[in-house]
Amino acid sequence: MGKYILKRLGYIVVVFIIVSLLMYALYNLIPSDPARAQLEPQRKSMKPAEYEAMYNRLRESMGLNAPLIVRYARWLGIYPDINGEFNGMFEGNFGYSQFFSQDVVQVIKSPMKNTIFINIFSTIAALAITIPLGIYCAVHKGKKFDATVGVVTILGYSIPIYIIALIFIYVFCVLLRVFPVSGTKTPGMEYANSWQEFVDMLYHIALPVIVMTFGSLGGMTRYVRSSMIDALSMDYIRTARAKGVKEKVVIYSHAWRNALLPVITSIIGWFLSIFSGSVVIENTFSLNGMGKLYWQGLNNLDFELVLAIQMFYTVVSLLGSLLIDISYGLVDPRVRVNK
Amino acid sequence: MKNFSRILVFALVAALMFTCCAVAEEPTHENSIIYASTTELSGDWGRALWTNNASDKLVRDLMDDHGTVVSDQTGEYLINPTIVKEYTTTENEDGTKTFTITLNDGLVWNNGDPITVEEYVAETLFCCSKVAADLGVKSTAYMTYAGGQEYFDGTATTVSGLRIIDDHTFSATVVAEKLPYFYEITYAGFNPMHIKSWFGEGITVKDDGEGCYFDGDFTVDGIGAQVDAERFNSTDRVSAGPYNLVEFDKESLQATLTINPNYPGNFEGQKPSIEKIVVVKTTTETWADSMKTGGIEFMDSMTDDVDTAMDMVDEGGFAYDTFDRAGYGKLMFQCDFGPTQFVSVRHALAMLLDRTEFANTFCSGWGSVVNGPYGTGMWQYQESEEVFDEKLNSYPYDAQGAVDVLVADGWTLNADGTEYTEGIRYKKVTEEEAGTYVHNVTLDDGTILMPLIIEWSSSENNPVSELLSVMLANNPDLTAAGIQINQTVMTFTELLNYMYRDASQGDKYAVPTYGMYNLATGFTPAYDYSYNWTSDPDLVAQGYNQNYLFNDELDKLSMDMVYGVDSTDTEGYLKLFQDYIILWNELLPEIPLYSNIYVSLFPDWLEGYDQDSFWDFSSAILYANVAGYGE
Repeated sequence: MGKYILKRLGYIVVVFIIVSLLMYALYNLIPSDPARAQLEPQRKSMKPAEYEAMYNRLRESMGLNAPLIVRYARWLGIYPDINGEFNGMFEGNFGYSQFFSQDVVQVIKSPMKNTIFINIFSTIAALAITIPLGIYCAVHKGKKFDATVGVVTILGYSIPIYIIALIFIYVFCVLLRVFPVSGTKTPGMEYANSWQEFVDMLYHIALPVIVMTFGSLGGMTRYVRSSMIDALSMDYIRTARAKGVKEKVVIYSHAWRNALLPVITSIIGWFLSIFSGSVVIENTFSLNGMGKLYWQGLNNLDFELVLAIQMFYTVVSLLGSLLIDISYGLVDPRVRVNK
Repeated sequence: MKNFSRILVFALVAALMFTCCAVAEEPTHENSIIYASTTELSGDWGRALWTNNASDKLVRDLMDDHGTVVSDQTGEYLINPTIVKEYTTTENEDGTKTFTITLNDGLVWNNGDPITVEEYVAETLFCCSKVAADLGVKSTAYMTYAGGQEYFDGTATTVSGLRIIDDHTFSATVVAEKLPYFYEITYAGFNPMHIKSWFGEGITVKDDGEGCYFDGDFTVDGIGAQVDAERFNSTDRVSAGPYNLVEFDKESLQATLTINPNYPGNFEGQKPSIEKIVVVKTTTETWADSMKTGGIEFMDSMTDDVDTAMDMVDEGGFAYDTFDRAGYGKLMFQCDFGPTQFVSVRHALAMLLDRTEFANTFCSGWGSVVNGPYGTGMWQYQESEEVFDEKLNSYPYDAQGAVDVLVADGWTLNADGTEYTEGIRYKKVTEEEAGTYVHNVTLDDGTILMPLIIEWSSSENNPVSELLSVMLANNPDLTAAGIQINQTVMTFTELLNYMYRDASQGDKYAVPTYGMYNLATGFTPAYDYSYNWTSDPDLVAQGYNQNYLFNDELDKLSMDMVYGVDSTDTEGYLKLFQDYIILWNELLPEIPLYSNIYVSLFPDWLEGYDQDSFWDFSSAILYANVAGYGE
């Protein structure tokens, strides 16, 4: 098992290098001049000589005059930068955001924290609802409840999250005045202690979490249901029932464990997605999260920021797929790697 | 009886006092306001040296207002009498000019520390240093002040043009190349920088008689970390403006500011009365819901959803303020190739677009049309309104007039060179005029005909483009006039590449391709269009003269307006300004499409709020108050 993991980690490094090269080249193929873009707002306030001096200085400091491969090597940290130092990703420097004029790590810190915080709640809530609901529907397949849930989940699945968010805002914020419309903090609030601050944040993120949970109910419920229906139709279930095993044991021990195999990919995928934000939800609720930051980075052609985010997601995905493979083995001994 | 009278008088006075108290306005809201912006804060408080995020700037403007030069309600620059005791200028024999400033007594930071003359020099001195450039500062101050270039290059240890005269007086000498300049007063604009906060212990500004310099370990390694920390510092921040930043929440991107009791007032001595301002982010989708539920209380400079805002005002509880945008949306022409090189074509296009209708439709009634490169809020325009009313052509919608203009200019042929009958008009052009325009037709006899086909580059997801497509490109009158407009939708970056003819981004961009672009422009208080019409190929290559309109007179006027007139000669300046606008209106390198009327929406308990084109929230809020608090 250890050898298998080491081998997979080796693959991860190779894939990471290939993906990083492709991504870096792709973004640098976009015909744009970051130095010009940065100076454009100031052009009118500068004399031509000043503009030229600053433009050249900026291009030099941004390393834009070097060939693509050199820039890539500098970005990775395997080639010295203009100061003669190795200062790239491998040295812990994930780049510099031209739009925010600060290190990418500093830019990402708060949005990442917010995204993880919000996603953990919504993921746990969604799984806590969808798994029992899917199992219940599978066990009571064809009954009124199952049919009703079927209709509701299809509706939830079909309506864009954007619409769901606006409807929920209207109902819960404007009509019922239960939740605030946006933000993660009551404006101007001075907290007596950190607990009060935490509670205020929970109050503010409650509605986005509800919307995200609601929006993800459909898919997973139907997935769990269909997986359970397959498992419940197996011969060993019939045998277990014939042996007089309690129905609860049949469902949760015999059927669910087998149904879990296809579901586990989705469940782990969900947990991995706690790092990635939702552009729609974050924009609608004015949340400072990763989805919005990524979108902002793309809009502003802030490529080092976008690349850093993408490379982070690449690593998460690669590690996630390794985790899924290992989990398969844990859930299903037939696919366990022993040697 | 006497006692009775006394009791009666006492009772009367008491009753009056009671009545007065009862009538006096009771506050219905705490003395604070929640300002919402659709642009989120980044938390970079490093003045305008690093980033230009609008929300960050707002917070910075609320925090920092001790500048020696400020602009007033109409955008006119003036010496800030609250800060400056005496201001003199001296013209030197070598063509340089020295601005000497004496500060008022008693200027203090928000923490009570006195603001020293060294701190007034510090920011400009910092901007003159190579260290600042290495730390990402975008400033060309070193090219403005005498000795700055040498200090920047490391060939001098002091900036000879920056001098500390005494404890309250300093001077700045501006290089001859930058003079005369109509807005030269801006060279005397200095803002204090708290040296200890920005550069740490051990760094001081000194002048030993040769000019100012930083004493101590003034290197990237020595001060870099401190500068970076101070840029984003939101705790106990030392500043000198009407408000103190008391908190910036990085998770919610929310800034809270409270009144700075040490603030001496703005240039008119005005101090704020609203105790707390909270700056938050909102979205275009949910701002109205937030406003109705009290989540936000001020929406600044709205252009979308103005109808929703007006509905809210009609329902009660809200008020609004309107002001003209200092800028406009425009159709920009490149005037050195293709049909748009001919002024007749530009005129015809202007006559085939109903700009009033366009502005009304696009701005939902909250827009106006200007006839030149100016904003109606500018003091220059206000002084020139009568002249412009008389002399500017508004190019009213006139389909027949457009045809007449084209015919008069020779757009009278068919593709085969015969007299024009229908379809696209052609004009016989010289080889030079023909250039490399792709649609040209060469007849057997060598005659070159240029078709009236205009290639239009428009950015994607742009509602202006969509409306232009309907009202201009697909206007039946335009087709009937023999014009064809081909719209190409592209990313804004690509649009800029074509506009700049930027060969470094690809060979195709170097070829003049699009004659028309739809863009927007904005004006700052310093109306400076110098070099905008230059014929110098090097400057054109740098991106100056994006219209590629090479008109010596227009170039001269734009240059003379700022570099050929003394700063005190307002009359001479205005004459040049008017001549410039009139010539521009005649040459029409751009068609101004719409200038928004901005709407700021707020609850009706906010009183005395009056915003303007160059008088934003950070300035206007000083004069406003929450009902029941103060005036």
